[in-house]
Amino acid sequence: METGIRNPVLKVVFYAILLLWSVSVIYPLIWTVLDALKDNEQFFLNAPWSLPRLPLLWDNFAYVWNHYHFDRYFVNSLVVTVGSTLLGLILSATTAYVLARYPFRGSGLLYLLYISSMMVPFILALIPLFFLMNSFHLINKPIGLILVYASSQFAFGIFVLVGFFKSLPKELEESSVIDGASHFGTFFRVMLPLSQPGLITIAIVNVLNIWNEYIIGTILINDPQQYTLPVEIAVMQKEMQYRTEWGPLFAGLLFTIVPVLIVYIAFQRKIASGITAGAIK
Amino acid sequence: MRNRRKIGVISLAILLVAMLLAACGQKKGDTASPSASQPAASPPASSASASASAPADSGTKLTGDFEVQYFVGGYGDKWWNKVIDDFAKANPGLNVIKSGGPQINEQMKPRWIGGNPPDFIYIDGAGLNDRQMVEDGQLEDLTDWFKTAKNVDGDLIGDILAQAPQQYGGKIYNIPLVLNSWGIFWDKALFKEKGWTEPQDFQQFLQVGDQIKAAGINPFIHTGKYPYYINGAFLYPAIVSANNNDPSILQDMAANKPEAFRSPAVLAALNKIVQLRDKGFIDKASVQINHTDSQMLFLQHKDAFIPNGLWLPNEMSKDIPSGFDFGFIPSITQDPGGKVVANTSTATVAVAAKAKNKEAAKAFLQFIFSKAQASQWAELSGAPSNIKGDISASNAPNYVKDAAKYLTDPNTVVIPTITYNADVDKAMMDATLALTIGKITPEEWVKRVSDAAAKVK
Amino acid sequence: MGRRHPFSIFLQGAILTMRTGTAKAQRYGFIAAFTLPAFAFFCIFTIYPVLQALYYSLFDWSGMSEHKTFVGLDNFKAMFRDPIVWRSVGNDYFLVAGKVIGIMALATFFAVALTRFRFKLSGFFRSIFFIPNVISVVVIGVLWNFIYNPQIGFLNAFLSLFTKEKVDIAWLGFPAHTIWMLLPPAIWAGIGFYMILIIAAIQNIPSSLYEASDMEGAGQWSQFRSITLPLVWEQVKVSIIHITMTTLNGSFIIVWIMTEGGPDNSTQVMGSYMYQMAFRQFHFGFGAAIGVLILVVSLITTIVLQRLMRQETIELG
Repeated sequence: METGIRNPVLKVVFYAILLLWSVSVIYPLIWTVLDALKDNEQFFLNAPWSLPRLPLLWDNFAYVWNHYHFDRYFVNSLVVTVGSTLLGLILSATTAYVLARYPFRGSGLLYLLYISSMMVPFILALIPLFFLMNSFHLINKPIGLILVYASSQFAFGIFVLVGFFKSLPKELEESSVIDGASHFGTFFRVMLPLSQPGLITIAIVNVLNIWNEYIIGTILINDPQQYTLPVEIAVMQKEMQYRTEWGPLFAGLLFTIVPVLIVYIAFQRKIASGITAGAIK
Repeated sequence: MRNRRKIGVISLAILLVAMLLAACGQKKGDTASPSASQPAASPPASSASASASAPADSGTKLTGDFEVQYFVGGYGDKWWNKVIDDFAKANPGLNVIKSGGPQINEQMKPRWIGGNPPDFIYIDGAGLNDRQMVEDGQLEDLTDWFKTAKNVDGDLIGDILAQAPQQYGGKIYNIPLVLNSWGIFWDKALFKEKGWTEPQDFQQFLQVGDQIKAAGINPFIHTGKYPYYINGAFLYPAIVSANNNDPSILQDMAANKPEAFRSPAVLAALNKIVQLRDKGFIDKASVQINHTDSQMLFLQHKDAFIPNGLWLPNEMSKDIPSGFDFGFIPSITQDPGGKVVANTSTATVAVAAKAKNKEAAKAFLQFIFSKAQASQWAELSGAPSNIKGDISASNAPNYVKDAAKYLTDPNTVVIPTITYNADVDKAMMDATLALTIGKITPEEWVKRVSDAAAKVK
Repeated sequence: MGRRHPFSIFLQGAILTMRTGTAKAQRYGFIAAFTLPAFAFFCIFTIYPVLQALYYSLFDWSGMSEHKTFVGLDNFKAMFRDPIVWRSVGNDYFLVAGKVIGIMALATFFAVALTRFRFKLSGFFRSIFFIPNVISVVVIGVLWNFIYNPQIGFLNAFLSLFTKEKVDIAWLGFPAHTIWMLLPPAIWAGIGFYMILIIAAIQNIPSSLYEASDMEGAGQWSQFRSITLPLVWEQVKVSIIHITMTTLNGSFIIVWIMTEGGPDNSTQVMGSYMYQMAFRQFHFGFGAAIGVLILVVSLITTIVLQRLMRQETIELG
């Protein structure tokens, strides 16, 4: 049954708008790929949409991968992202569960505190954060970055998961308690498995955020051995200002974009439901 | 739906694999990664020279860690790698740590605040201001040391410097290593081909500008995102020219004296920018672009003149079209027959007040301020060093030799390097940019900047 | 203080649980064990650095020196006299308004189009539209800088196809109103997230409502007005508040990577000016004062918006 739009003109117009927007999203990505295969001269002499000249400069990829040690940064990013996502997940899930199911004096305030931390301009906290991490001897260590990133996820994680736990039927816990399970047992054996979809979705959203974070990374990591990918891209972009190498820059950008796109497309539906879970409260 | 997603994932995965294959397939042998044992390794770009830390051999007196912070910008890091390696070889007991890179100033900043700075610092690039560092007590007082310090060849360092260190309340904290000049560049080959005259003064500049414009090329492009280029290479020399070649006016400006900004010389200089603007000489792209973009456009002959510094050819070495021949004059704003004004720009080196190894830092100063290192600097960085000496026999590029000639010519007014207060500097940059796009008048420029200076006082 | 604390309470809680076995103690032990570790993390890595930074707003501090001078509220007084601060606030609100209108209009349109219009390829469009949200802001900045580049950029090259002379507009260099040019990248990058939010809300609307309306012969437009909009209004509100909060607090990133607040401070927002003052002009205390301003402005705006939109619901409902 086709009851969408009856007016054929309108239908065409709407289709055109959707297509146009798709192009505006996809085109820059294609452009990135094309430009990764160009040299500086082609950037200036040809139209921006022109195809790269043959032979294609595949060396640009080799160049960034080797010269800029993208292999190492890739692994660093992976470790930091996975570590901090897991830690952040455990801590926000436990807190969210208590806030949703075990109201206590001040629990509302605690919830507000977490949520309002989204309003704080975090760049200002960078310098104190550096000294803090320095006094813990956590500068230039992935674990330091993991701790900071993990706590940066609380606001969103708690926001989403409190809503999620509230939406689960209470009967489940009650029957579990009747069966003699402790609070801990109920959480780990009953509630946690049930909240798996919620957990996975915030995990994915957080993975995307952390994978792309570079401002905190730049300050807390200044040993090139420990850079993450976005930090390296930021450094590289700075360096480009003195050594114009656009082709390699775009190649480097692709190394960061493509993994994220894979994660996104593979888990698309989960991401969508994760965002929704946050909104429905 | 599900299938399409699968296809999406698979095709992206294939793309990733293809990128990796492209990367690995062409892996060359020379990409040894910096060894993991190095405490704070050099940036990836300089991985080839990871052998700075030789095993401890306590034959010499310098021992312990010695950390050098150096910004890597237009001059590259070839010289730093070389000189640090040489120094390490000469002092095998010393563990030399290189902390260099394009973002090193931001990255090391917390350590400076925290009282744990590196021992030795090369002050260059965004985020560092030597005046501010002196005011903050970050730099070691070198006044007494400088009086008697001799370099490794036995020469008194004070005797061989082309430009003396800047004094702060009569004291010396940092020593200029690089002597550079702002100025205007063009391509001699293009001028020859088109039959244009290479300008020697403002009159000629305006004349040739008209010809260039008529030929369909933009006469003048500058780096609008960072207006200190047009200030350094055009405005300040113009102010000095209009001030009877007396550069003390700039020193008064640096001392935040509001009346200095209200001098007629400043207004006269600003009106020269207005002339360029009203004649339509300034490339409209200038306002939003950064240095690499503006420099690329200049190299591609979209624009004929660019205000810049002597690091330009080295910075763009990979992108210089064949046949391009840099023409350079330190200033273009003088009247016919007037003196050329060279606004110098030095990059200095200093020892941290809280350095843990001041001995090594001072020894390093003595090591780098030698004739041998000076000519090596000119060669590897493509810019004149601050050490006097005839470089005409060295391998330095021609424009460096030309510039050196200008700087030693008695007919050139050489402006010693001046660091402005950060607030006033920003006010001048904003106001100059606003002037180039017709947003304000010269009078408003003066008002804005003198207000900013008054506020600092 | 600090690191031992949460764990010892956790232990106490656990021990309490085992020993006493009373329901109340068990409950509190459980609450402590589940909330304190996260709270400790939050205090150490979020609250403490922020509070310390705000505390610096009372000092004259270059940000580099080891010495700070206490100046009381002088930074705030100077801030209120600084015209650039006011321009920044104005630009921030401009971006908030522009993003709210642009994002909400397009996101709602896309959401409705992809659910109610039953286009083929809706799933495809939905996947595509979210992509800008997964890309790093650094990448977005690089891309849009190339689009706006006056000489080698996409936009001028495209416009030049239709003109005789080569177009050479400096898109990020107008004497005034350059802030307008930052809206397209901000909207482009933001839409996907809110579109998905609204799609989910539309999908939660019982289809019986639409069926009944179909029977009455109502068109898409009247269905949108009478069914869709009132029922997704809750999500629209959440989105507006979220856009407002993230813009006031995070707009500096897009500004910094595209214009650094220029030309002549015309695109400065509170965050970018804070960065400029704190890290470029060596007035960290002043920067911290702007940080306090951001916090206060965000809080007030959020509260006021919530009030305003509460009334809105009543009118519509």
